[in-house]
Amino acid sequence: MGKAIVITSGKGGVGKTTTSANLGTALALADKKVCLLDLDIGLRNLDVILGLDNRIIYDIVDVVQGRAKLHQALIKDKRFDEKLFLLPAAQNADKSVLKPEEVKDIVDELKPDFDYVLIDCPAGIEQGFINAVAGADAAIVVSTPEISAVRDADRVIGLLEKESLDEPPMLIINRIRTHMMNDGQVMDVDEITRHLSIKLLGIVFDDDQVISTSNKGEPIVLNEKNLAAQGYRNIARRLLGETVPLMNLDSEEKKGLIQRISSWFKKN
Amino acid sequence: MQNVVLKGYKDGYEITLNADADFKAILIDLSKLFAELQLEKEKSEAKSLSFDISTGTRLLDAEQKQEVEKIVSQYPLFSIHRFTSSVMQIQDALEMIENRTVHLNANTIRNGQVENIKGDVLFVGDLHQGGILRASGNVFTFGKNEGIIHAGFPNDAEAIIIGNIHATQQVRIADVVDILEENQIEDSAETVVFVNDLHVLAYTERAKVKMIRPKLFTRMGGY
Ligand SMILES: Nc1ncnc2c1ncn2[C@@H]1O[C@H](COP(=O)(O)OP(=O)(O)OP(=O)(O)O)[C@@H](O)[C@H]1O
Ligand SMILES: [Mg+2]
Repeated sequence: MGKAIVITSGKGGVGKTTTSANLGTALALADKKVCLLDLDIGLRNLDVILGLDNRIIYDIVDVVQGRAKLHQALIKDKRFDEKLFLLPAAQNADKSVLKPEEVKDIVDELKPDFDYVLIDCPAGIEQGFINAVAGADAAIVVSTPEISAVRDADRVIGLLEKESLDEPPMLIINRIRTHMMNDGQVMDVDEITRHLSIKLLGIVFDDDQVISTSNKGEPIVLNEKNLAAQGYRNIARRLLGETVPLMNLDSEEKKGLIQRISSWFKKN
Repeated sequence: MQNVVLKGYKDGYEITLNADADFKAILIDLSKLFAELQLEKEKSEAKSLSFDISTGTRLLDAEQKQEVEKIVSQYPLFSIHRFTSSVMQIQDALEMIENRTVHLNANTIRNGQVENIKGDVLFVGDLHQGGILRASGNVFTFGKNEGIIHAGFPNDAEAIIIGNIHATQQVRIADVVDILEENQIEDSAETVVFVNDLHVLAYTERAKVKMIRPKLFTRMGGY
């Protein structure tokens, strides 16, 4: 029986969809069978990032409303031979067409056939969030180092803790810019993790290539050398139970020790 | 014992309703009593009188209280001060205990969450920005206090807050609010917040509790 994980954030645009696509791909590369569920009804883009947008025939609303069977609506990503699937969101519908029980039924139907069901949650804490959480066993909260994103993450963690998930929510800090963090211009990884007091699943650097590869429909995680990609691969390995040390914050610019210490002093 | 007994005290009158008597019989006797009192009253100078109604080991429900009040309201000079009894509902008793207990609380109160406590709270948890810790009584805190602390909710201006509120967003007591600026309050675990005589929030140190809230101080075992 697979595990359903909702990927959520509260604040919009912090990288939920990017995380869903890359984490899903990384798990598929690790030989796990993964189904991605796009619940951002009306604003779908998981399909675009994966380069599967041309192949959509049916979507989740078609399944719920009986126009298609679940297996008919699943799109297979041919790059990963039977490992990665997507159930797309509907484009011309509203979040309110789905009810939490309906989403839960779909997730429950998928779980026996997959190792992981990753649910891409829309921004906000209303209907779309409630739907996305309904079938989940676990949750990943994505935040950037911005205060507003961290505040929203805190709000969402509070809501998630009230749901009876099987495990406490886990944190991904995305779009880390090392120079800003090292200069103390934004909260650092430790501060954010301590503030939110949940388990840190991993960090992902801010990297222009994330955007350019997304535009081409190729998740960044396929590019082994890229630092953001390594972040996603590490996250997948931790999810699978491996112990992987956190990436070094100055690897981006290969700062010298002296520089590191002096920037550390500047903070205080 | 008679159904209805009138007693005069130095600071007023008390009418005891026999807890073992039939309530209908009580009402009849009560009507008679007030009719007599009215006659007495007419002889002397007109001055209004207020009564405590004591029901002993009987609890009157709202309807029964109304019936008593109806009798008294026929006489403009008479009124009921309050109803008293020597017993209470278990539920009310539990609530009273709850309100007098210091509750230990170690929760994490996140942005958008409100933790409501009846009575006093000894808080050792994490109060995040945007979260509210709200007690009907006093708040004693050793926790991380980055959100909003509200003591004496909704209207007990005697309540106080003790703890480190250096990083706290707001403190509220009863209906009074202070928005705390950065570094407005020193980084000390012994800050005390209270409502002063001008009904404004004031800040002092732990050693002053004895002066500003002597009753609380003795309740806590101080002398
Ligand atoms: N690590 C990163 N480095 C650079 N750009 C990133 C990174 N992560 C995400 N982005 C970019 O940020 C933008 C928003 O990302 P994404 O769509 O994944 O966010 P979202 O949380 O799903 O947004 P929404 O709330 O609208 O669903 C995209 O343009 C994406 O390419
Ligand atoms: Mg998205």
